[in-house]
Amino acid sequence: MRRSHSPLTSPTRGVTVSVVRLVALMTASLTSAQAADADPNASVSIGSLYEPQNLDNTAGAGQGINEAFNGNVYEALFRLSDSGAVEPVLAKDYKVSEDGLTYTFTLQPGVKFHSGEPLTARDVKYSIERVTAPDSKSSRKNSLKGIASIETPDDATVVIKLSARSISLPYNLSYVWIVNDAAKDLKSSEDGTGPYKLGDWRRGSSLSLARFDGYWGSKPANGGVTFRYFTDATALNNALLTGAVDIITSVQSPDSLKQFQTNKSFTVAEGQSTTKLLLAYNDRVAPFDNVKVRKALARAIDKKKLLNAIWGDRGLVIGSFVPPTDPWYVDLTKVDDYNVESAKALLAEAGFKDGFTFTIDTPNYDPHPLVAQFLQTEYAKIGVKVNINIITANEWYSKVYKAHDFQATLQEHVNHRDIVFYGNPDFYWGYNNPKVVDLVKAAEASTTTDEQTARLKEANTLIAEDAASNWLYLYPQIVVSKASVTGYPVNGLNSQFFASGIRKAGK
Amino acid sequence: MNGTAGSMPQTEGKMTRRTIPLSLIVGGVIVGLHLLAGLLTLFWTPYDPTAMVGGRLAGPSLAHWAGTDRLGRDLFTQILIGARIAIEVGSGAVAIGAAIGVTLGILAAFATRTLDDVFAAAFDILIAFPTLLVAMLIVAASQTASLFTAVLAIGIAGSAIIARLTRILAKRVLSMDYIVAARVAGSSWPSIVVVHVLPNIWPTLIVNLALQFGLAAMAESSLSYLGLGAPPPNASWGRLLQEAQGTVYTAPFGAIAPGIALVTLVIGVNLLADGLRAFADPTRRGRR
Repeated sequence: MRRSHSPLTSPTRGVTVSVVRLVALMTASLTSAQAADADPNASVSIGSLYEPQNLDNTAGAGQGINEAFNGNVYEALFRLSDSGAVEPVLAKDYKVSEDGLTYTFTLQPGVKFHSGEPLTARDVKYSIERVTAPDSKSSRKNSLKGIASIETPDDATVVIKLSARSISLPYNLSYVWIVNDAAKDLKSSEDGTGPYKLGDWRRGSSLSLARFDGYWGSKPANGGVTFRYFTDATALNNALLTGAVDIITSVQSPDSLKQFQTNKSFTVAEGQSTTKLLLAYNDRVAPFDNVKVRKALARAIDKKKLLNAIWGDRGLVIGSFVPPTDPWYVDLTKVDDYNVESAKALLAEAGFKDGFTFTIDTPNYDPHPLVAQFLQTEYAKIGVKVNINIITANEWYSKVYKAHDFQATLQEHVNHRDIVFYGNPDFYWGYNNPKVVDLVKAAEASTTTDEQTARLKEANTLIAEDAASNWLYLYPQIVVSKASVTGYPVNGLNSQFFASGIRKAGK
Repeated sequence: MNGTAGSMPQTEGKMTRRTIPLSLIVGGVIVGLHLLAGLLTLFWTPYDPTAMVGGRLAGPSLAHWAGTDRLGRDLFTQILIGARIAIEVGSGAVAIGAAIGVTLGILAAFATRTLDDVFAAAFDILIAFPTLLVAMLIVAASQTASLFTAVLAIGIAGSAIIARLTRILAKRVLSMDYIVAARVAGSSWPSIVVVHVLPNIWPTLIVNLALQFGLAAMAESSLSYLGLGAPPPNASWGRLLQEAQGTVYTAPFGAIAPGIALVTLVIGVNLLADGLRAFADPTRRGRR
């Protein structure tokens, strides 16, 4: 089905892809230069499918709150830029002690909360403690558990003492929104330092952000933004077509794009997401405890064909759990490249000459059921029979994630820099390689980012060689806007969507 | 009842019974075609339903009469198999629904007054819940979705309507003088059921069962659309519709084709039921 794999095939394709991306980026910046007639007071309407459950990212508000509030209403000491770099925001400067256990942060001067109160070191301490509190539901709670103490010698200085070296501290602090320590009820109101303050939140419909005139940084390029929430992707597309919204933050199917691509009134921008689709085996149970079986299952899947079926010519096959926006990305697509014959041979070596049968717990929403059928057909070619068990998201959480009661499952993982999950043998997929566990720990204790990157690259490679899971592809991130709207972020890292650079031409 | 213009007087029943209503013929042909298609797939299909034989979302062509899906699988093949699944589920669910419904309905008709009231109220309560919701609850309770659980769920969910109808029809028959005569003559109640009740209620009942068949086929598609029906790779029309949902703009035929299949089957079954009513139950002729 596929021609013999010359070592050139994939790299060439990779280069082509990045050239295309570069051209796309250049055109994007060109159009933004052209949009000199942007109206500084324009109100931008953003269409999204992800309405937050509440307004507090430590209270299980979902990805929607990150999209609407991160960098817009709230800021952190650092931020993860659209390209994946960690940049200081409310931290003007920081020093690390020789032993790497004491971080001293100096805060930006002149920062005011939306309530008018000035930012002080006590607010920072309060904000971090909110995330690490026992009842916090923050996804980064565990990453911050190495904090031994937080001291505030003066209003502009925060000293964080660690129990062990943690080179990712600045990165992890980018998930800690700085809130006013006097603020009440952050679930339905806010008090942050960002360029926008909360306007009007109509549950089930929209959330508007108004420009904050007392903002310490540079003024937003627009007068305010309104997130409009939709439950149906088709309705959202129609809203853009009819002009009810200016931008769609994330298009989830390539097939609705044609109506925008062929129309000059719209811009389609493709960036990179951090969302990976994978077939996760339960590595604890037979036959998935056998690396040969896992490698055979990885080689039996034509991932490019799968990606094409789901996303047309978009997205990327990465051969590992690490997307190119993570610093420790390595192209590992060659480790277990598509090869049915070698898959069969590996299965025979593992003692499954006649194949075996297993069940894939498949979330009931697109694209999972279709992907499961693709896998079913591909695995039939190497004699492996697949049963598809369709389950809801809640069942997935209790059966697979909590109880580890599964053989294999399909799931999308959205988080940035989440390879560390493979360093946790108690994680749902149960991958346990002591070398990887040590490398992930050592990486965190690194003294330089180069050291950290080198260790995680090594871990990444080991995990890929073990075929710990079957990484199918990386989702594209597609933003569609009216042609008159420019300056929005194109990458969907953790689904954040910085609004302050968005320009809108005309009235 | 039969006084409306154009209706046949009962005395001509013998003659009219021989003319077959048009709706019966049309319905019979449509349902027959679906049945044939379904039977055919037991022996032969144009392509392997799971083989990725074509391009992504190809339109209808000579090679692929209904085009292909996102994985490049032949849609016509899947629609043929969908006909088999719809008919399997339809007849299975009707059989289960009839077994439960007719039994309960007859029991209610023969029961004491209080017990009958309880039965009647229970049927009404069950009917108050949408069939699909009851079916979803049953599927959810059975942990794993399969073709069998779908049949069972739809059958149980539809049985209350059959039970209510059976009860009413049976009660009407039981109030007849000849039943009193049979009772006086010492007939046991099972023999009354077999000799008098069932033969008299079946014409109306069969029409209702045919309608139930159409509803069951639709319910199966709805369950599969929601991911609660027979798991892939069973090519249920509902699943085909669900998978084509995101591509209706670029490849509308992927949604239209299984839609047509489902609509024609349901229309065919309804015509068939209509024709059956006219054919088998001449006393109701002219009532629409």
